[in-house]
Amino acid sequence: MSGWSRHARVLAICWRAAVAGEVEYRLNFFSNVALSAFWMVWAAAGASVYFRFTGTVAGWTQAEVLVVIGLFFTLNGLRQALLQPNLERMTDYVRLGTLDFLLTKPFDAQLLVSLRQVRVNNLLDPVLGLALTTVGVVLSGRGVSVVALAAFGLLLGCAVLLLYALTVLLMALAVVLVAAEELGRVSYAFVELSRFPVELYRNPVQAVLTVVPVAFLTTYPAAALLGRLDPYLLVIAPAVAVGAVVVATLAWRRSLHSYSGASA
Amino acid sequence: MRDVVTAYPPLVRSATLVAATYRGRVALSLLTGFFPLLLMGVWLTIVAEGGPPKGWTTGDFLSYYAAATLLWNLSGDHVVWQWDADMRSGDLSVRLLRPVHPFHQYATNDLGHRLIFLTVLVPALVLAALLVPGLDYPVGPVRLAAVAAALVLAYAVSLLMASTFALIGFWSTQTSNAWLLWWGLGSFASGWVAPLALMPDWLRSVAVVLPFRTAMGFPVELLMGRLDARETAYGFAVGLGWLAAFAVLYRVIWRHGVRRYQAVAG
Amino acid sequence: MIEVRDLAKHFRVHRRPPGLRASLRSLVRREHVTVRAVEQVSFTIPAGQVVGFLGPNGAGKTTTLKCLTGLLHPTAGDVRVLGHTPHRREPAFLRRISLVMGQRNALFWDLPAADAFEVNRAIYGLAEAPYRSALDELVTLLDLEPLLTKQVRVLSLGERMRCELAGALLHRPDVLFLDEPTLGLDVNGQAAVRTFLRDYNARYGATVLLTSHYMGDVTALARRVLVIDHGTLRFDGDLAALVEAHSPHRLVRVTLREAVPAQTWVGLGEVSEVDGAVVTLAVPRAETAAVAARLLTTLPVEDVAIEDPPVEDIIRAVFAHA
Repeated sequence: MSGWSRHARVLAICWRAAVAGEVEYRLNFFSNVALSAFWMVWAAAGASVYFRFTGTVAGWTQAEVLVVIGLFFTLNGLRQALLQPNLERMTDYVRLGTLDFLLTKPFDAQLLVSLRQVRVNNLLDPVLGLALTTVGVVLSGRGVSVVALAAFGLLLGCAVLLLYALTVLLMALAVVLVAAEELGRVSYAFVELSRFPVELYRNPVQAVLTVVPVAFLTTYPAAALLGRLDPYLLVIAPAVAVGAVVVATLAWRRSLHSYSGASA
Repeated sequence: MRDVVTAYPPLVRSATLVAATYRGRVALSLLTGFFPLLLMGVWLTIVAEGGPPKGWTTGDFLSYYAAATLLWNLSGDHVVWQWDADMRSGDLSVRLLRPVHPFHQYATNDLGHRLIFLTVLVPALVLAALLVPGLDYPVGPVRLAAVAAALVLAYAVSLLMASTFALIGFWSTQTSNAWLLWWGLGSFASGWVAPLALMPDWLRSVAVVLPFRTAMGFPVELLMGRLDARETAYGFAVGLGWLAAFAVLYRVIWRHGVRRYQAVAG
Repeated sequence: MIEVRDLAKHFRVHRRPPGLRASLRSLVRREHVTVRAVEQVSFTIPAGQVVGFLGPNGAGKTTTLKCLTGLLHPTAGDVRVLGHTPHRREPAFLRRISLVMGQRNALFWDLPAADAFEVNRAIYGLAEAPYRSALDELVTLLDLEPLLTKQVRVLSLGERMRCELAGALLHRPDVLFLDEPTLGLDVNGQAAVRTFLRDYNARYGATVLLTSHYMGDVTALARRVLVIDHGTLRFDGDLAALVEAHSPHRLVRVTLREAVPAQTWVGLGEVSEVDGAVVTLAVPRAETAAVAARLLTTLPVEDVAIEDPPVEDIIRAVFAHA
C-alpha cells in the first residue's frame, strides 16, 4: 500500500472516532453551530458601525470587508476544528509520555500528532464562512472570473498551509516548553489579526501585518476573488507558504531530536 | 458574614500567587488583552481619510481605547470558564464541601488574577497618557476618585453578572456558549464594538439603562471627562441598581441550582 | 453520629449504543433510563468507629458517600450526620467533616502543598495556634517535611496522597469520608496511609467511613464492614461474621514429611493447592476439626494449620451469589 493512502486511511479512522465521541453531545454541536453563525452576524454588524461614517475605508467597501470577514471565519473554523485540538493535546502528550508511544508507531509523527484530533463542533464554520464570503461578493456587485476563482483557490490553499505551518511550529515549541495552552493563544491571536483587510490599519501596523504574514491569510485571497490582486503575489504566496511549512517541519524535527535526547 | 470578610485577603493572596506562578500564561493573555486597539486602528484610518466622525479626533480614539483596554482586562467573565471546567471535572464538589460559599471562592480567585493584570496595565496606561501625544485625560482629584469608584463598580457588576450566568451550568452544559451570546449582544451596548457616542441614537438610549455600559463604557467616558454631574450620577445609579438586581438573582438561582445539582451529580 | 434510614437515590441517564451511525441518530432521538443507584439503605455508625464500605464498581458506594457529605440530595429516606442534614450544607456541618477522594485533587497542581494548606486555613477560618499545632502534627505523622515546599506536580502519587490527607485534616474533622484513598498507590504508599489513618482515629476518635477496592485497607482499619451491591445493603456487621456467613469452607494447610498418593484426600476435602510438600484443602466449616484430627492420626504430617480463605475471595463469593 502506498504511503499516502495508508496515512489518509489512518487519519480517517482517527477522525471517525473523534466524530463519534463528540456527536454524543448533540446539544453542544447545535449550540456551537448556532454560536458560529451568531459571531458572523456579530462581526458583520460590528463592522457596519465604521460604514455609518464613510463609504469606503482604505478603498474597501462594506461588502468587500464582508468577503474578508467570511474568509476569517473560514480559516478560524479550520484552526478550531483541526489545528487547535491537536496543539492543545501536545502538553499532555509530553507530560504523560503519549509522545513516546506515538513516535514508536510506523507512521509519520508530524502528521499523526498534528492532525489526529478533530473538533467536530467547528467543522461547519468554514462552510458558514464561505457562505458569508459569497454574500459579500454578490453584494459588492463584482463578477468573478474563472481566473479570479482559480487565483482565489490557490491563495486560500496557501493560507491554510501557512496556518498549518504555524501550528506545527507551535507544537515544536510545545515539546520544549510544555505549555500548549499558552501557545494556543498565539495561534488564536495570529488569526484574529486577519479579521479585517490589513489595509484598514495604517502604517506601521499594516507593514508589520504584511511581514508577519497576516495579510496572506485573508486579505490576499479576498483581493484575488475581487479581481484586484497584484499578480506577483501568485508566486510569492506559494513560496511563503511552502517556506513556512519547510521551516516548521525542520523545527519539529529539531524539537523531537532534543526531546529524545532529553528523555534518553 | 464576618467569616467571609476575613477569608478574603488570604484567598486573594493565594490566587495572586497561583497567577504569578503561571507567568507565561499571564504574559500571553496580555497579548490578546490588547485586541481593542485593533478596533481603534480602523477608526484612526477613518479619521485620517475623512476627518473626525462626530467630532471624535485621533486623540479621542487613543484615549478611549487605551482606557477600554484596561476595562477589557478587568472583566469578571473568567468565572464562567472556571465554572464550566469545574462542572465538567467535578471539582465543583470539592468547592461545595468547603464552608465558604463557592461564589467567594471564585470571586477571590478571579480578583487575584485581575490584580496581576492591573500591576502591568495601570502603569502602562499612565505611561501612555504621559508619553503619547493626543492621549490625554482631564483628571482632577475628584474625577479620579469617581473613576476609581466606577472601576470598582464595573468589576463588581461584571463579576456578579458573569457569576449569575455561570449558574446556568446547574441545568445545562451550554454555559459558556450562553454567556458568549449574552456578551456578544451586550458588546454593542457596552462600548466594546465602538464608543457609544458613535452608535445610532436608539441603541445609545437603550444602552444607558443596561448593565453592559457600567462594565466598560461608563468608567471610560467618565475618565475622558465626557460626562456631566447628572450623567455621572445616573451612570452610578444604573450600575448600583444592576448590582443589587444581580445579587438578588444570584441568590435565588443558586438556591434552586444547588438543589438540582444535589439531585443529579453522579 | 451517622444515621441513615431507607436511603434511596435515583438518576435519569441517557443511553447511547456504540457506533457512528447510532451516535448520529442520537443527535435527534435519545432514550432515557432511570438508574436506581441506591435503594433502601439503612445503617448507623456511632462516634469513633471505623467502617469499611465494600462493593464492586457502580454498586452505589460513592453515591452513598455523596449523600452523606451533602453533595447529593437523597431521592428518599433520611440522613443525619453529626445531627445535621447534609444536603443543607450548613457551614457548621461542613467545618466538621472532610471528604478525601483518591482520584480527585484538592491541591494546586503547580504550587507547593504548603500554599494549598494556607488556603484551607483561610477557608476554614483557623486561628494561628490551632492551625500550627495541627499542621506540625500532620507533618510529623505523615512525614511531610521534605514535601511541603515542592510543587505538587513533581510529587509521586503516594506523596501527593499524604499531602492530600494533611490538607483534608487541618481543621480536625470529626467525621472523615474516604473514597478510594489508596487508589493507584504502591505497597509502601498503601501501608503509610493505613498506618496514619489508624493512628489518627486512635488519637482523635474521629469517625471514619472508608471505601476501597483493596481489601487490605479494610482488614487493616475496619472491624465493621458494610457490603453494598446493586444499590442495596447486603451485609452490615463484623468482618469475621461476614467471613463466617459467606465462606462455607475453611482452609486446612498440611505440611507432609513424605509424599502420599493423591487419592488419600478423597473424602477429606477438596484439594485447592499443592505446593511441594504443602497441600491445602478446602474443608466444610463444621468438619474442620474432625478432618484435622484425622489427618494428624492417619498421615505422616509435620504441621497442620487452619485458616480462613482470603477476604477477597469471600467478597467475590458474596457478589457472585448476588
